[in-house]
Amino acid sequence: MTAINTFIDQLLDTARRCGVETAEVSYSEGESFSVKAMSGRIDSYEVSSSSGLSLRGTVGGKMGYATTSAFDSEAIGQLVEAVKESAALNEAEDQDEIYAGDEHYPQLEAVPNDLSEVGAESKIQLALSLEKQVLGADPRIAKTEGAVVDTSSGTTILRNSMGLNLQRSDSVYTTYVMPIAKDGSATATGFALSCGRELKKVSADDLAGKAVQEVLSQLHAEPVLSGEYRVILRYDAMQSLLATFSGIFSADNAQQHLSLLVGKEGEAIASPAVTMMDDPLLKGGFASSPFDDEGSATRTKAVIDHGVLTTLLHNRRTAKKAGVVTTGNARKAGSLLVAPTNFFFRPGEKDLAAMLKEMDHGLLITDISGTHAGANPISGDFSLLSKGFVVRGGELCEPVERITIAGNFYQVLKSILAVGSDLEFPGRGIGSPSVDVGTLSVSGK
Amino acid sequence: MIQPALARDILARATATGGDFAELFVEDRRSQSLSLKSNHMDTVSTGRRHGAGIRVFSGTQAIYVHTNDTSREALLDCASKAAAAITGGAGCEILPFNEADVSRPEEIILLPTDVRAARKAEKLRAANAAARAFSGEIVQVSAGFADSVQDVLICNTEGLFVTDRRVRSRFMVSTVASDGKENQSGSAGPGASMGFELFDQRVDPEECGRFAARQAVTMLHAESCPSGVYPVVIDSGFGGVIFHEACGHSLEATSVAYGISEFSNRLGEMIASPCVTAIDDGTIQHAWGSTHIDDEGMPTTCLTLIENGKLVNYMIDKLGGRRMNMASTGSGRRESYAWAPTSRMRNTYIAAGQDDEAEMIATMGDGLYAKDMGGGSVNPATGEFNFAVKEGYWVKDGKISHPVRGASLIGRGSDVLLKIDRVGRTMVQAQGMCGSLSGSIPVNVGQPMIRVSSLTVGGR
Repeated sequence: MTAINTFIDQLLDTARRCGVETAEVSYSEGESFSVKAMSGRIDSYEVSSSSGLSLRGTVGGKMGYATTSAFDSEAIGQLVEAVKESAALNEAEDQDEIYAGDEHYPQLEAVPNDLSEVGAESKIQLALSLEKQVLGADPRIAKTEGAVVDTSSGTTILRNSMGLNLQRSDSVYTTYVMPIAKDGSATATGFALSCGRELKKVSADDLAGKAVQEVLSQLHAEPVLSGEYRVILRYDAMQSLLATFSGIFSADNAQQHLSLLVGKEGEAIASPAVTMMDDPLLKGGFASSPFDDEGSATRTKAVIDHGVLTTLLHNRRTAKKAGVVTTGNARKAGSLLVAPTNFFFRPGEKDLAAMLKEMDHGLLITDISGTHAGANPISGDFSLLSKGFVVRGGELCEPVERITIAGNFYQVLKSILAVGSDLEFPGRGIGSPSVDVGTLSVSGK
Repeated sequence: MIQPALARDILARATATGGDFAELFVEDRRSQSLSLKSNHMDTVSTGRRHGAGIRVFSGTQAIYVHTNDTSREALLDCASKAAAAITGGAGCEILPFNEADVSRPEEIILLPTDVRAARKAEKLRAANAAARAFSGEIVQVSAGFADSVQDVLICNTEGLFVTDRRVRSRFMVSTVASDGKENQSGSAGPGASMGFELFDQRVDPEECGRFAARQAVTMLHAESCPSGVYPVVIDSGFGGVIFHEACGHSLEATSVAYGISEFSNRLGEMIASPCVTAIDDGTIQHAWGSTHIDDEGMPTTCLTLIENGKLVNYMIDKLGGRRMNMASTGSGRRESYAWAPTSRMRNTYIAAGQDDEAEMIATMGDGLYAKDMGGGSVNPATGEFNFAVKEGYWVKDGKISHPVRGASLIGRGSDVLLKIDRVGRTMVQAQGMCGSLSGSIPVNVGQPMIRVSSLTVGGR
């Protein structure tokens, strides 16, 4: 870290000397390892070390931006000149300001992490064993699209000309297996994932078992008749839908007319069954952090409390415009945007089996595809290729595929009948339990 | 970027433990992006991406190590890490480099790095003004422009040592129309392998603004699309995403070589209706998905995939070629040095046919006319694909009746290719970004207007 801090010192100093009034550096570096087993052998193996830096700074009170992953002799001059050119063109009415930081930052609760103790050979063995167990489980599973073990570690530094100097580090693993099952002319694909920070605790047996159960249960799936159906979205399908539409809770989007939640604070925008949390302090959360990307302290809040929108997510700029304080949700992605941290429906009392019983008849959706295309975050409309099961008498019956489920996310929030207890986070901040979303349009045969 | 002597040392280190092939990919990419929103120029961001990746094969096993530190020590360290993952192998001789530069500077008139951001900003302002002027229902216009100059060096143990420069520019406009209760969106995003001359030769910012505004306003006044199985006419241009998803991905070695694709081992078979000829062409000058050489240093090709319904070629990269015992088709692509290359599409389209566009709609009965499409995705193992309709119209008894929104189209690739019963006469291509195993890369999709006799329309 000494070398990079010297580079940052030089960069901030050069920026100041060249007329940049205030400046801030975000730097991140990391290492990753990934191994994929396929057809009984190691198919691919990847190792990387990477670092990148972004500079933002004000000239005449206007913010400019630049990034680099080159740290050679030209880099400092290029960054500073680019920030000046960028600032000169910035005409936005509401400008970001570099922040000196808060007096106190919350402490994250420590979680066990064994990733520094697990070597490459153990990861290779886990990948091989995961694939082997899947392939050996049933004659209908003749292939996989691979069993992957992936680990990554990273450190982020946030420093600015106002004296802010913050740092955080984390490391996580992701492991998954993707079996393909064939029976006659029927083909089905499955997926099971585990992610966290204790790789030694991963059981290849459990994960393989889950993938096998998933893929075999989908064989011979057929479309259902088109019509209106009661639908429960399983935790993973609901997570995917929530992640797609999480941008509607951004005050930045709302202030630009990109979300219909503009000005709706204090109003009921969802069913009373819905409480939506943004919790940057969640123990072991994949998006946990004591500070956001502009150095504000983070805090836990209910964004929706029993159906009522209590707040949108803010950075300092959007908060100032709205006359509120920041929620600590600044996210740098080129410019400074707003994004959720650990964001999820607060789990309810009932497990999935109890929810299915209560629904009695309908569909359980276990997978949705093409959310980048079939869902429109501006309108809230979605129409998504889905698979799952017919539910009759509260029991899972025949598998379903080649159907779409269609609706509008704003309306789904209002029509939710129950939120399940099975909250899961698939390796990222946004998570969900299974949710009974009421009635949706289904297109099938 | 890297001297041949160092490159040789790196390749030698990488193959020291028995690797039978090694490759070094070095990249230095300068990019700039501008955005305008709420009537004001907003963010201008200038970036530099720099780094290298080393790949080693032992048979069909692939090792990839990458870093953004291109110092001699760091690269040799990466080579050692790659070599350490190989356990025994035939090894290989490092052939003398045949040094070549395939860049064609004469193709680019105004290099993006030579054009001030202020000049680029004028184009965004023009699009914004035109979109806002189109209708009072337009409540937001976001305009963006992104360009890049990517310098690459690719060398390998087979004597390849080649440098190239790729220059790309893309203009984007998205709009929101609102009546206070509902929002709908529209967009346009033309791009090319060109510099700033894009605006002199191909792209009119005001026209893009009006196009995106018209689309959002049309969709604001549209009804929900009906659900069910119907005939669908898909217009030219971005409509080609249907072939990209329903078939293109399933013809990439990435899934064919493993026997995963529904089109594995089917060369020579009729997999599409006889009116379908499909091509993947990486050589079209200035096209968004073209490059002089692929990211493994092979010359790109114009490859016929399907000829009058018959499957004649797969898209193959170097590693896929080893698995399939077939030659590379110059289809190895990657987003950046941070990704190992694999077989990918370039500019993929259904070739022009002979059918009359007006007749296609007039004889379709009731169904959907999909005028502009969004993206999609596919599961190559099952062939199940989906893609979104950005702008659709309901057709009643052969006549376009009214705009419909919120529809997606789904099906199975092997099924839908056989159900294409009309192919029109004018092929148009459009630009997109394609995401897969080796990252997000620029591609063209394209087709003339086509008709699918029955397709599942996901409306509500």
